[in-house]
Amino acid sequence: MLEIKNLKSRIGDIEILRGLSLSVNAGEVHAIMGPNGSGKSTLAQVVAGHQDYEVTDGSVTFKGNDLLELDPEERAREGIFLGFQYPVEIPGVNNAYLLKAALNAKRKHQGLGEIDAFEFLKMAREKMTSLGMDPKFLNRGVNEGFSGGEKKRNEILQMAMLEPDLAILDETDSGLDIDALKAVATGVNALRSPDRAIVLVTHYQRLLDYIEPDFVHVLSQGKIIKSGDKSLALELEEKGYDWLREAAIA
Amino acid sequence: MTRLPTDELQAIVGRLPTPRDEDWKYTDLARAREISERWLGAGAATPAAVLAGDIERITGGIDADWFVIANGELISLSEPAGVVAKKLEQPPEMDGALAELNAALLIDGLHIRVDTEREKPLGLLLIDGADDASVSQAFVRVEFAPHSAGEVIEYHASFGSADQYANTIVTIDVGDNASVSHVRIQDRARNHVQTGRTVVDLGRDARFASAGFDLGGGLIRNDLIVNISNSGADVSFDGLYLAGDGQHIDNHTRVDHRVGPAKSRQEYRGILNGNCRCVWNGKAIVHEGADGTDADQTNHNLLLSDKAEIDAKPELEIYTDDVKCSHGTTVGQLDEASLFYLRSRGLDKQRATQILTHAFAAGLVARSPVEAARDTITSLVEARLATLIQSDEDFSA
Repeated sequence: MLEIKNLKSRIGDIEILRGLSLSVNAGEVHAIMGPNGSGKSTLAQVVAGHQDYEVTDGSVTFKGNDLLELDPEERAREGIFLGFQYPVEIPGVNNAYLLKAALNAKRKHQGLGEIDAFEFLKMAREKMTSLGMDPKFLNRGVNEGFSGGEKKRNEILQMAMLEPDLAILDETDSGLDIDALKAVATGVNALRSPDRAIVLVTHYQRLLDYIEPDFVHVLSQGKIIKSGDKSLALELEEKGYDWLREAAIA
Repeated sequence: MTRLPTDELQAIVGRLPTPRDEDWKYTDLARAREISERWLGAGAATPAAVLAGDIERITGGIDADWFVIANGELISLSEPAGVVAKKLEQPPEMDGALAELNAALLIDGLHIRVDTEREKPLGLLLIDGADDASVSQAFVRVEFAPHSAGEVIEYHASFGSADQYANTIVTIDVGDNASVSHVRIQDRARNHVQTGRTVVDLGRDARFASAGFDLGGGLIRNDLIVNISNSGADVSFDGLYLAGDGQHIDNHTRVDHRVGPAKSRQEYRGILNGNCRCVWNGKAIVHEGADGTDADQTNHNLLLSDKAEIDAKPELEIYTDDVKCSHGTTVGQLDEASLFYLRSRGLDKQRATQILTHAFAAGLVARSPVEAARDTITSLVEARLATLIQSDEDFSA
C-alpha cells in the first residue's frame, strides 16, 4: 500500500530524513518508535504532504501511484489520514461542518453524492458514543477549548468518520490519561481490517499494550535502524534507545 | 428650508476635511469634493427620489418598520405603535464642514421618538440612485425615552453607475435606563462615496449594543461617536469590514467617558483582499473624574493580498486613575497550520481559505444584536466573502 524508498527530506537547511525506507501492506499495523528528533513526526508530515518539508531524494508511492506529486487534499481523498500530534484549534468552524465537508470531499472524489444529513448525524453520534465523546462536541468550534485528550479523541473521530485506507497517527497517545488512551485504542482497533493499514508514531510502548502492532521500527537520525515484531517495543521499554544507536554506529 | 447660494455651498465643499487633518490622515475626500463641485456646477438639481425595487427585496426581507430616505427625500413617514415620527425642520448644530454641508443641503430630516419597549425594529433605509452624478444628505435623530427599549437598523444602499456622494448623520439618544440594539449595514455600490456619522448619547444606566457591517462602497468613512456623560452606561459595538479591489473603508470610533463607572467595549475585524485600503482608528478618552471606567478595544485584520493595506490605530487618552483600559490590534495572513489541517482532511486550498476566512468573520455576525437583521447580514457577508476570495488568487501569499 505504502512504499517509501530511500526518502530524504529537509526543512530549511536541516536534513531530517536521511534515506528512510519502509513498506506497509494492507492489513498491517506498524509502530514507529524512536527518540525525540529522530524524524518520526517529519515522516508523518511528509506522507501527508506538508509544504514546509522538502523531499530531496527517494520516492513514496501509495497504492502504486507517486504520492509526492499530490497536494495534501488529494492524498486525503485517496485515503490517507494523518492524526496530528498537535491538532489546531479553529474557532468559528463548527466541528460537524468540518466532518461533513471532509466526508463529502472524499465522497465526491469517489463519485458519490453528498451524505444525507440524517445519516451523517446518526453515524457521527454512533462513533462519538463508542469513543466516549459527548455529542455536544459536534456543535463546538474545531478543537476550540478542547483539552489535550479531547483533541486526540476528536482526531480519532475524524478518522473513524473518514475510514481511511492508511491512517498515520502521530503521537496520538501523548498526554492521554488511561481512559482516553483506551478510547483512542478502541477507535483504532475498530478501524483495523484486511483492507487497511495503520502506522502508529509513538514514543512509548504503553499504546502498544492496547493496539498490537505487526511490526515495530526504530527510527534514529532519519533512518530506520532496526525493525522487528512487538517484542522489540518491549525491549526498547526496558533498555532505551542507546544500545541500538551504538549498534547502528558500529 | 432655503438653500444657500451656490458660491456659499462651494465654499463649504472647499472646507471638507483633507489628509492634512489628523483625523483624516489616511482618507482623502477629494472624490467627494469633486462629485459635489460637479453636481453644484450642474445646477444642483435634486434628482427625483427613486427606489430600485421594493424595500423587502433591497433589505433581504428584514421585518422592521421602515422609514425610507431616497436621494435625501423622506418618502415614507408612518407612526408605528409607541413611536412619534416627524420631519426634522432644523438639524441641531454640529461641528465640522461635513455637518455644515449636511445642514446646508438637507431636504428632509427625520426625528423619531420611542416611548415604550418595542419588539419590532425600526428600519432606516438610506438609499440613493440616480442617472447622473448626485449628492445626498440624510439626518435622522432617534430618541429613546427613559426606560424604553428597541432596535434600530441603519441600512445604507445605493445603485447605478453614476458617481454618488452620500453624507449621512444618525444620532441616537438612549435615555436613562433605556436599552437599544443597533446594526448598521452598508452595502453601497462599489463606486460610491459615503461619509457617515453615527452619534450616540447615553443616559444613566443606559445600554447600547451595536454592530456595523461594511460590505460595499468605493470610498467609505464612518465615524461612530459615543458620549458617556452619565454613570452606569454599558456600550458595546462591533464592526466588520470586507474590502476588495478599489475599495477604501475607514472606521473611526470615538468614545468619551466623561463619567464613571461605565463600560465600553469595541471589536472591529477586517478582511482585505486585492488592491484596497482600510483604516481603523479607535479613540477612547477617559476624562478627569471618570473613575470606574472600563474600556476595551480590539481590532483584528486578515490581509489576503500583499496589495491590501490596513492602518490600524488604537488611541487611549486617560486622565484619571481608577480605570481599566485595554487594547489590542493584530494584522496577519491566514494561519498556515490551520490551512494544512483542513487540506489534510480533503478540502482544497480554495475551500480551506473560504472556511477560515468565513470563520474569522462568523463570530461578529452571530452575535450581531438585532436578530431580525441577522439572516440578511449572514447572506450579505457570505456573498461578499465568496466574491472577495475569488477575486485574487494570491490569498495565501
